Amino acid sequence: MAPLLELHGVSKSFGGLRVIQGLDLTVEEGEIVSLIGPNGAGKTTVFNLVTGVYAPDEGTIRLAGEDIVGLPPHRIATMGAARTFQSIRLFLNMSVRENVMVAGYGRTQTRPWQAVLRTRGARAEEAEEQRLAEELLSFFGKRLAGFRLEQPAYSLSYANRRRLEIARAMATKPRVLLLDEPAAGMNPHETHEITELTARLRDEGGFTIVVIEHDMHVVEGVSDRVVALDHGTVIAEGSFEQVATHPAVIEAYLGKGAATTK
Amino acid sequence: MSIGSDRWVETAESRTEGPRGWWGQGMRHWNSLPPLGRLGILVAVAALVPLVVSSDFLVRVGVNGMLLALLAVGLNVSVGWAGLLDLGFVAFYGFGAYTFALLSSDQLGIHLPTLLAVPIVILATGLLGLVLGLPSWRLSGDYLAIVTLFFSQIFLELTLNFDRLGVDLTGGPNGISGVDSFSFLGFEFSSSTSYFYLLLVLIALIVTMLYLVDRSRTGRAWRALRDDPLAAEIMTVPIRRLKLMAFATGAAVAGLAGSVFASFQLGVYPLNFQIQFLIVIYAALILGGSGSLAGAVAGGIVVTLVLDLLRDPAQASAAFYGLIAVTLIAKVRPWRTLAAVVGATVALGFVVHVVVGAIWPDAVAGEVEATGVFGSAIQSWVVLPEDPTTIGNWAFCALVLGVIALTRVSARTRTILLVPLLYLAAFVWENRLVDEPSITRQLLLGVLLIVMMISRPHGLLGTRRVERV
Repeated sequence: MAPLLELHGVSKSFGGLRVIQGLDLTVEEGEIVSLIGPNGAGKTTVFNLVTGVYAPDEGTIRLAGEDIVGLPPHRIATMGAARTFQSIRLFLNMSVRENVMVAGYGRTQTRPWQAVLRTRGARAEEAEEQRLAEELLSFFGKRLAGFRLEQPAYSLSYANRRRLEIARAMATKPRVLLLDEPAAGMNPHETHEITELTARLRDEGGFTIVVIEHDMHVVEGVSDRVVALDHGTVIAEGSFEQVATHPAVIEAYLGKGAATTK
Repeated sequence: MSIGSDRWVETAESRTEGPRGWWGQGMRHWNSLPPLGRLGILVAVAALVPLVVSSDFLVRVGVNGMLLALLAVGLNVSVGWAGLLDLGFVAFYGFGAYTFALLSSDQLGIHLPTLLAVPIVILATGLLGLVLGLPSWRLSGDYLAIVTLFFSQIFLELTLNFDRLGVDLTGGPNGISGVDSFSFLGFEFSSSTSYFYLLLVLIALIVTMLYLVDRSRTGRAWRALRDDPLAAEIMTVPIRRLKLMAFATGAAVAGLAGSVFASFQLGVYPLNFQIQFLIVIYAALILGGSGSLAGAVAGGIVVTLVLDLLRDPAQASAAFYGLIAVTLIAKVRPWRTLAAVVGATVALGFVVHVVVGAIWPDAVAGEVEATGVFGSAIQSWVVLPEDPTTIGNWAFCALVLGVIALTRVSARTRTILLVPLLYLAAFVWENRLVDEPSITRQLLLGVLLIVMMISRPHGLLGTRRVERV
């Protein structure tokens, strides 16, 4: 069976700056893969290439066996790749519930005139989307439930905004979920919760997960496999232990010579 | 601790304040009504207006108000919901009006029945919206605004020059007159009152339709697009299609409004569709609250009332002095200070009038517009030069500077400064502003907008919005 997500020989430059160079990356169905690397290694660019925000200069990207290079982002999202953003990008002036319901657009069919006529299909679909949004938000316990459902997203705390973004990504019913630093800015307790949550997303939600993370406790806790990037290429790949002790990774993080003096 | 337990949320209900006072209770009852019920009550109240007011002028003001309300509702789709700054909107209105005029006048010798002409106009204007919406694929914000502003100007140029195509299409600067009234189901719309009720039904219909669209996936996608286009697209929203849908929907509403306008006015003229009117539509939407259907309607009606009722000097004067009185009562506390300010202003006026009159008799030889007791009181209070133009203009500049200074000084100085400024305001009003109603009403609308944007940036009925937090 073909891997769920497959990047082959992908390169991307911004002007003269080569951000991604001949990157190969495969993600199998049901895996949790962590993407690590120093700042500027190209981790977020990988997400931007997969979700169609940028088109690669070279190489192929396949999602469930289908070539997605050149497709607009909304098509790729409908095909099953959803993501969160490193700098949270919610629809701040919409309610918590509506934020999640927006992500159902690609799955639903109601046309404006059907909404105006309030056809049976339109009402059923709307009710189902409401129910689904509440179900997804209940993944985070009571935090985003109850009266918070109708509160605008801008009224949420930072941690709740991160949670809402994950719920919104889940609402596209993706096959692969790309989480960009879900634990950034979280306190130790919340970080621990993110670790548990990521495992639950795979086990209960059935998503394949790629996560960019700087917090090595999270990486160690959740990863089936760790991929280390530097200067846009894979420098190490394997279990957390293998990657964490890999000389190239230590060099990328700490500088030349750090690996030998240890 | 289990995941997701949250005491704060669990106890939020007990900490939320209930509605208070007669206003709070009233609003609670009002908000508990179903949306359709609220709309029904408002429509029923509005329907009484032509029965209560006797003058045809006031009914015409109502028709103009509802036309502007309909336009603001249409503009709200692209600007308030989808967040696309469309300055070409007045071209859609004009296109609708001209198309209806061409289909229902002697210009081309076509007289289609209303029930055929109006749908054609709506469809054609919607299609124009699709085409003129195309730049929104690549441009956003200010850049889109400039390009669409250009469309407004082009439309105006075309109406002025399309009388020379071999066939006289638009009548050039003279426009098209003799447009048919609406008539369908055996009823001819000839009176202002008939248009009043027609527009009332149309607004209720369009507002209901757009309300339902707003709450569907399409409306959510529009608002997501406004808040963050990239995130919307990553969340499966095909943003290009939705931008065009927003443009086309707004344009179709403008086309409908244009048809009604053309038949109500019995003609269309290039002057009706200038950039100034675009600004009025925006003023209505912003004043009412961009993003809110009820706000758009309210804004349209308030702006029309301000602009139309201020045409008449007597009504304008009443509004001017009334507004000052209300502001003083609301803002100057305690009562002793208020009484002192008013007393000092009155005294200052009579003293200045006597002194200036003694030195230079010409300076009090002018006439006030107002009549009756109030008019004669003003006559012996305000200095009214025989030729007030130059001094009045300078006084106006001084007044503006004075008002700005008023916001910058300490509370004590402000109270003292208020006295001469009030007198200066009355001087400027009686000598210059009352004589130039067309400029004055624009000025007053501007002041209203400034005050509104300071005290309530989200408009009368809009909800507060944030950009980034």
